[in-house]
Amino acid sequence: MAEPILKVNSVTKCFGGLTAVNDVSFDVQPGEIIGLLGPNGAGKTTLFNVISGFYAPTSGTIIFKGQDISGKPPYTLADRGIGRTFQVVKPFAGLTVLENIIIASFLRYPKRKDAERHAWKILENTGLTDRADVSAASLTLAGRKRLEIGKALALEPTFLLLDEVVAGLNPTEADKTVELILELKKQGMTILVVEHIMRVIMNISDRLVVLNFGEKIAEGTAAEVARNPLVIEAYLGEAAA
Amino acid sequence: MKDKSIHWGLPILLVLIALPAVIQDTFFLRVITEAIMWIGLALAFDVLAGYTGYLNFGHGAFFGVGAYTTAILMMQAHWPFALALPMGGVLAGVGALIAGLPTLRLKGAYFAIATWALSRAVQQLALIMDITGGPDGMRLPSFLNPQFFYYLMLAVVAATFALLWYLLECSPFGLKLKAIREDDQGAMALGLNPTKLKMQAFILSAVPTGVLGGVYAYWITFIDPASTLGDLVSDQALVMVVFGGMGTLIGPVIGALLIFAFKTLFWAYLSDFQLLYLIILGAVIALSVVFIPNGLWGTLRGARSQKKTEEKKDEGPAAKLSPSEGE
Repeated sequence: MAEPILKVNSVTKCFGGLTAVNDVSFDVQPGEIIGLLGPNGAGKTTLFNVISGFYAPTSGTIIFKGQDISGKPPYTLADRGIGRTFQVVKPFAGLTVLENIIIASFLRYPKRKDAERHAWKILENTGLTDRADVSAASLTLAGRKRLEIGKALALEPTFLLLDEVVAGLNPTEADKTVELILELKKQGMTILVVEHIMRVIMNISDRLVVLNFGEKIAEGTAAEVARNPLVIEAYLGEAAA
Repeated sequence: MKDKSIHWGLPILLVLIALPAVIQDTFFLRVITEAIMWIGLALAFDVLAGYTGYLNFGHGAFFGVGAYTTAILMMQAHWPFALALPMGGVLAGVGALIAGLPTLRLKGAYFAIATWALSRAVQQLALIMDITGGPDGMRLPSFLNPQFFYYLMLAVVAATFALLWYLLECSPFGLKLKAIREDDQGAMALGLNPTKLKMQAFILSAVPTGVLGGVYAYWITFIDPASTLGDLVSDQALVMVVFGGMGTLIGPVIGALLIFAFKTLFWAYLSDFQLLYLIILGAVIALSVVFIPNGLWGTLRGARSQKKTEEKKDEGPAAKLSPSEGE
């Protein structure tokens, strides 16, 4: 196997007395889609925030492309090639959709003109071209989630973290987003996905990592994970297992 | 997408340059000089308030630092005005750097309170120190040339406007600041360093304010803690920017002109009712915040762009589809 693009080494994150993520380790190979699963409060988003630099791990390390990135600020990681979306989307509401993407494009295209040209390309890829001049606040939820992906893509990342980009969409919109994710994989991007909708995550992920109460309880292919008694217990309760 | 109103800039500047030839009345020239100064102060205030989303209630302190630096260098160190004035801007910038380190971590009301408290501390310092003349203030040599100060003020404010126009409306810097204003967490994920950008904005706001303070000191020839370090500069700039339209460069200009004209007319004709001035001003601000939260210019521009999109819609779906079909 190739050298993993991301190594999560015994990462623990505590908030005061609460251990949100407890001694979690896993590797991500280049070009893979890894699904991060777990019931509400399992620590998925916290782990996301640790990997993308919003929190420093309490202990443990994150190795990205062979370098220790634990505790590095998000803007440094964006520059190194990590793009992320937010579960609670963060559009720049007072600005237009195009301006939102232009801001993200400045990272790779510091000149205004180049950034704008790049932003139009991203708009086309994410199906937002005809919404370019409306304010980001006036987008529907589906539109905002697309914008969120668009902004992450504008960074031209090698590694993409998607936090519930499908949840809350209707089936047609969801299918479109799944298509987009699979297209990105085809282009060689490595992706870590958090998603609640089983149908989606089971279908697109090469491998799954399952968290419960901050601990990793299973790792493997969709079929392997679905048979795992610990996973069944976490989702359906003890009796079912 | 770009604002076309900038095309009015050059003709207006030419008219302003020609103005002293037409106006012989020194009182009137003085009034216009002060109006231009307030435009500069409102513009500088808007860099942080409108573009970056930080209400700086200590804005006036930079004005005072510039005024006192210029005055002290001229009176104590016997520097010529031409050298003392830029130092006023430099020291205001250094002041912003020092004040920004702790305060820019705060947000919203906390930033407003912290900057207000710092500016009070600076005022107290000016009141107790010997070098500033304490409560008696400082007197500068009088240079009675209204034209000189008119042109100097105009040059400083026009240069400020041009610099801000370039940085905030043309270069990426303005959009990056707006990203911080809208959502600093989201901005961080896109590779922006909020701490650095906020600090740059703070300094960009402070330096022109300090220079204007220096010009004011030499122009008025007398400064004291109450006139240059009081709440007046911050409050007035805030009112002008909010009334005119935050986050734009035209808004503060309009706001500064209207509020200053109102103030001047009021004091000229109704000076017996000074109390009424503040009451009316307060009411105008309260009403404008409620009914035109984007300020005069923001509201006008919003109405205009809305009209434009409606016209676009009228062109029908065929017109909208054509560009994507072409590819």
